[in-house]
Amino acid sequence: MFRARPVAAAAALASLALAATACGTGGGQQEDGGPWKPDRPIEIIAPAATGGGWDTLARTSGRVLEEGGLVDEPVQVVNKPGGGGSIGWAYVAQTPDTPTRLFVTSPPISLVPLMGGSTYDHEDFTPIARLATENMVYLVPEDSPIESWGDMVDRLKEDPRQVSIAGGSSPGSMDHVALAGAVEAAGIDPTAINYVPFDGGGEAMTQAVGGHVDAVVTGGSEAAGLVESGDLRPLAVSGAERASTLPDTPTLREEGVDFTYDIWRGVMGPPDMTDEQVAYYEDLFTDMTEEESWKKQTEALGWTDSFMRSEEFGDFLDQSSTDSAAILMKIGLIEDEEGR
Amino acid sequence: MKPFTFSNRVLGAAVGVLAVGYLYLAFTLEEFTAVSVPVQPATLPKWLGAVLLVLAAVLFFQKDDADEEEDSGEPSGTGSDSDQTGGGAPARPAAARPALGRLTDPRKELALFAASIGLYIALLEPLGFLISTTAYIAAATWYLGYRRHWANALVAVGVSAVLYFAMSDFLRVALPTGPLPF
Amino acid sequence: METLQQMGAGFGVAFTPENLLFVFIGVLAGTVIGILPGLGPMSAIALMIPIAFGMDPTTAIIMLAGVYYGAIFGGSTSSILLNAPGVAGTVATSFDGYPMARKGAAGKALAIAAIASFTGGTIGVVLLMLIAPALSSFAVSFGPADYFALMVLGLTAVVTLGGRNITKGLIAAVAGVMVSLVGIDSQTATLRFTFGMPELYEGVKFLIVALGLFALAEVFSMLARRGAGGADGAMSSLRLNRRELGRIAGPTGRGSILGFFTGVLPGAGATVASFLSYSMEKRIAKDGDTFGSGNPKGVAAPEAGNNAAAVGSFVPMLTLGVPGSGTTAILLGALLVLGVTPGPMMLSDRPEMFWGLVASMYVGNIVLLVLNLPLIPLFAKVLKTPRAVLIPLVVVFCVVGVYGLSFSVFDLWLMLGFGVVGYLMRQNGFPAAPMILGLILGSMMERSMRQALQISYGDWTTFVTSPYSAALLGLTVVVLVWPLVKRLRKGAPATAAGAPAEGAEKEDTTTTP
Repeated sequence: MFRARPVAAAAALASLALAATACGTGGGQQEDGGPWKPDRPIEIIAPAATGGGWDTLARTSGRVLEEGGLVDEPVQVVNKPGGGGSIGWAYVAQTPDTPTRLFVTSPPISLVPLMGGSTYDHEDFTPIARLATENMVYLVPEDSPIESWGDMVDRLKEDPRQVSIAGGSSPGSMDHVALAGAVEAAGIDPTAINYVPFDGGGEAMTQAVGGHVDAVVTGGSEAAGLVESGDLRPLAVSGAERASTLPDTPTLREEGVDFTYDIWRGVMGPPDMTDEQVAYYEDLFTDMTEEESWKKQTEALGWTDSFMRSEEFGDFLDQSSTDSAAILMKIGLIEDEEGR
Repeated sequence: MKPFTFSNRVLGAAVGVLAVGYLYLAFTLEEFTAVSVPVQPATLPKWLGAVLLVLAAVLFFQKDDADEEEDSGEPSGTGSDSDQTGGGAPARPAAARPALGRLTDPRKELALFAASIGLYIALLEPLGFLISTTAYIAAATWYLGYRRHWANALVAVGVSAVLYFAMSDFLRVALPTGPLPF
Repeated sequence: METLQQMGAGFGVAFTPENLLFVFIGVLAGTVIGILPGLGPMSAIALMIPIAFGMDPTTAIIMLAGVYYGAIFGGSTSSILLNAPGVAGTVATSFDGYPMARKGAAGKALAIAAIASFTGGTIGVVLLMLIAPALSSFAVSFGPADYFALMVLGLTAVVTLGGRNITKGLIAAVAGVMVSLVGIDSQTATLRFTFGMPELYEGVKFLIVALGLFALAEVFSMLARRGAGGADGAMSSLRLNRRELGRIAGPTGRGSILGFFTGVLPGAGATVASFLSYSMEKRIAKDGDTFGSGNPKGVAAPEAGNNAAAVGSFVPMLTLGVPGSGTTAILLGALLVLGVTPGPMMLSDRPEMFWGLVASMYVGNIVLLVLNLPLIPLFAKVLKTPRAVLIPLVVVFCVVGVYGLSFSVFDLWLMLGFGVVGYLMRQNGFPAAPMILGLILGSMMERSMRQALQISYGDWTTFVTSPYSAALLGLTVVVLVWPLVKRLRKGAPATAAGAPAEGAEKEDTTTTP
């Protein structure tokens, strides 16, 4: 096996050369970009292992930033997996004087601390930009007797045991909160529903197709294929507007339930960033979301562009965190708004 | 000459202590009451702890089996020692090879070796991958008795550099840099 | 007929010079990456995605399929040569592969692994082409109760892997299940046995335990033996004669079929397939008692099983758009980024893509064999490295593998800890294999059991009312009771009979140049 190394070395050299040329074309554009500029490589932390959703987001962003020539400094993706994100968050929180260290984030930044899994929450970081959102979708197998969202609510009201609902993650996480919040808003006791956690949305949907559970809640883009083939029938989506991938599916609001839930994705930085630094990154990520390659990829992944600048993103985070805390309290998973 | 080998009595007692500790932890796990679940998070751990305790007791009263160590290791992929040399390898006498290490007591030698790995792990992030790995390979190889020092230095520098640059530049997996600028 | 035509077109796509070049590059890169313990097929594909991005989608997919195959084979290589199984699917390969290598038959072990992998992959692809659409209903028909029964059946392998002292084997297995329960409980989000350390919230990773118990413990033993015993660089030829091929034909064939169908079940995958194939062969082989000390059948069966399972795991992805394993999840992500949506509509909407992918998997398989057979002597020479150099290098590889996966010094300490534990276990006759088995299957078993009971509201009859579950549990009982019955009938230890003759045969085959 040691013999194989020259190949790797040659490949490494080749990619070094490529990287060098890629960086070379990146100059110039930022000259008038503002008073503050990064003076060393930008690190994007993915608080998860290689291959997950955060990792995909981090690597996609890094690539678009570099290829689009939007940055002078190289962009490095650093994985800090563990603790459902808390290891990576602790890492960033402990380096307030490193404004080149950002991290990609999504709803777990409020849910995990609430559930007691992290000592740091979104208030310990500087919000930079929200990039995209995605709908949650509630589905049943094609041959299910449940005809609509309203029908499912009726059945749940009659006897919550009638309907077992699968999700891709443990109680207190995105899938469960999106489900509990929706049924609660429809007037059902969210502690009574029979939520069955599986390991990922894919597994949960397979179980629904096989008829082992009666319904499933998962991310909109994940479900698109099985909806198109007719294996699963969507009842409702959780966003404020209909999903572009599921144009015929009503929103919860249209079904008379006052509840919205988005899987949002964004970028945050260490605590105590200056206004100039925040402004620089805001512009940078605005430019990134306008890149053709970014648009192409987010479309493929089923994400909706929903850009928010730092301040708006911060308010949004406060709001969504309060909402989540309220839902978790109602399910009885936490005792007060400070979490458990 | 089998370092760190104990009688079933000692092993049984050790496993028993482990089982009791585990059971204690299992019983301190909180009941999950927010949502009704048919099986509590502590249910399986309690059973496991109990089973381990029973197994420990069985082991405690078992007679030591003379040739047990040799055989039972095999299915785990440890392989047996040279007593079972398959025909292909002409059995070279062990003495012809330079023995590894320097201390006469294998237990001390093993402890030292484990400590050296510990030191390498501890210095990995402060010194960075390149420096710590080069130093570790060079030092360990020298200590274990490899005499071609130039080859040793070349391997130490070469392996760590190739691994480092292949990982960080080609695969974009960031290993710790340490004080070095790259 | 139409299928054949489309398949032909698929092969036409795969066989253009450009695509052949990229499948070659992919296989090579995959093998090199896969050899590093820790960087399995999953990481290899994730890491190659940036390189694939921007290529023509078909070419990119073909390259990634090559990476996939290469990485699986690379994993077997480090498993056989260094006893460092970096991927769960190759643990079973090390049980007999490493002893073979130590006896000087490293080349032969690698060749068997390559041939068995190739066969497993080929049978898998053929089955995939013929019955993929029909299989999607099989894939979804497995509910939590059925998975529970499958895991229970898998755990009975403890009995075959447990070594001579069954008490010690069982203790190791229970300890493995205990380790698998560390972390956030996925059913209730409760923290279990984490001692307040966030590093343990996501549980103890398989890789850390495997590298500690197998690779580091082996390094410790090597040092304690002062380098005596084991492979000393003398190599038997890697050529397999007809008789040897004949001996591994059965295990390879059975492993392939069993592996493919296990792989089709989302979540069960290559690991369960390789363990099941291994313990099944050990049970039915006349020379079953030589398994674990370098029996070629013990390499062929799990290798065929895990490669066929790797292909099988494409079934849920291609027919349902649902990843059947961690690796296909990454691949699914890669395909989405490349603008290809695998799933139920793929076969009707974009048949050229479907067949191109199937054909490229097949081509990747062939290239792997063609590329690696000549490289085997080179790989096998690793064992000629002087011990004093090899030992530190193995340590460094383990460190890179773990750190490259988790970027955590804590995990490195944990690996060292498992290394010490592994060495102590080995010195005192506790087998490591049941512990790994318990670790891999334990948490999956607990999870499916609780899911099943959650759905049935605590009604335990759910495990016998599902036909699959009932059948698998029945099989479990048979597997456990059968040796007792056999022993009672013969009135003597079951293995005593044919053993000497078979042992002699084994000696014979390993000496054949």
